[in-house]
Amino acid sequence: MEIGAYIKLHRIKQEMTQAELAEGIVSSAYLSKIENEKTDASLNVISLLCTRLGIQLDNGSDEEVREKLQKWYGMLSSDYDMNEMVQNYQELNKVMYDNHSADSLVMFEIHKVRYFLVIGKIDEALRQVNKLTEMSDTFDTLHQFYWYKFKGNYSTAQNEFNQAMRMYEAAEEKLNQLELPEEEVADLQYTIAVTHSKLRNTLEAIDYAEKAIATFRVTYNFSRCAQCHVVLGISYRRIRMYDKAIKNYNLAKHLGELKQNPQIIQLTNQNLGYLYSTVGETEKAIYHYEEIIKEQELFLFERILAATSLIKEYYNINNFDKAKEMVKMSLKLLHEPEDQDTFQLFFYIAYTYKYAINQEASKFESLVIDEFIPYLKKHKDYANLVIYANMLAHHFEGNNRYKESVKYYKLANSTYEELISL
Amino acid sequence: MKKLIATVAFGTMLIGGIAAMQDAPNESAMEWEPTVFSVSNDVSHF
Repeated sequence: MEIGAYIKLHRIKQEMTQAELAEGIVSSAYLSKIENEKTDASLNVISLLCTRLGIQLDNGSDEEVREKLQKWYGMLSSDYDMNEMVQNYQELNKVMYDNHSADSLVMFEIHKVRYFLVIGKIDEALRQVNKLTEMSDTFDTLHQFYWYKFKGNYSTAQNEFNQAMRMYEAAEEKLNQLELPEEEVADLQYTIAVTHSKLRNTLEAIDYAEKAIATFRVTYNFSRCAQCHVVLGISYRRIRMYDKAIKNYNLAKHLGELKQNPQIIQLTNQNLGYLYSTVGETEKAIYHYEEIIKEQELFLFERILAATSLIKEYYNINNFDKAKEMVKMSLKLLHEPEDQDTFQLFFYIAYTYKYAINQEASKFESLVIDEFIPYLKKHKDYANLVIYANMLAHHFEGNNRYKESVKYYKLANSTYEELISL
Repeated sequence: MKKLIATVAFGTMLIGGIAAMQDAPNESAMEWEPTVFSVSNDVSHF
């Protein structure tokens, strides 16, 4: 990285304007040229600017800090202890601006995007992206690789999967010009596999998951292997190769058990439950979902997902007592989180079934017509829109209200067509 | 009677369509990919 970009990075960190930094040394316009590598300033000018910023020019190579950096980078892409990762970050953040090379500094700043995403601070990640965008045209190829990958991660965190894919593909293009460790390449392949799966590009998801798992097997990264098996399980289910799907899920579960990781184990249970639900094996579906809600170590989202899945399964086999029990459990869990927006869908599902089971027709109709369906349309959740439009239509049909019934069957049908055209 | 026939016809078409394309009434909240971030016991990533 050139000195101009280095000066710019420090200036931005200290929240100085160009005018403030340049005052008495050079004009703001000239400083801008220096920062953007449009001119070579004299050593004297560079020295004055650096003095004002409180930085020195020598590329300090503190071995201890370098090792800590590499360790921290590794934590961002593997199983990690959160406290240790946060502590390492805080220590590095204190020392990185003291005489470390511009390259190290930029790499550290870029990895902060990933760090903030991993610890769930999405707003901080966005702030970091915006801060670095100003200087991203000075990034070298290695910087660009991580820059695109982590910007992709930000889009993933926002559920903007098309944008995420564009970023990951931009990162992938850089691989030809770099010699990265194979685990680094595999991590990107895994990320792309997951994104293809989110976009329902099933064959591509299989392709990338297979590439990634080939590396993770030899590096004994069991967590990532398990996650690749889950992606493969989902993909094979979608193309109706159920035996292969189940085999992959069971492999994932086995690896999750080896790593004693409840998230992986219950992720496979959730997906196995769903698979059995789609093929009509309701008892097996219920078994797998029940395994999840028994697990106390899981976080809220996983348990709500399983509880609402169980409402549907019990309702569909007319076991209304158990369905009511699951509705009660779901609503109890749903009152825990502060961020209610994330769980809005589950509120709607739980109340829809509550009113349906209790035969509170007007409440059921009002909720589904006035709130749930508009919500699903707004969020383009076509899959659920088909299900609940159909449920409403069926309700009206059962009450001999055929005009309304037809309306919602039509909605379900047109939404279904929209879904299959994706 | 016409309304009943129309309703049944739509319902049948829909059910038939869904059965033929099993992939359709799908996921969103029920089928879940793993996270692209790391898997920690401290953070819910699923």
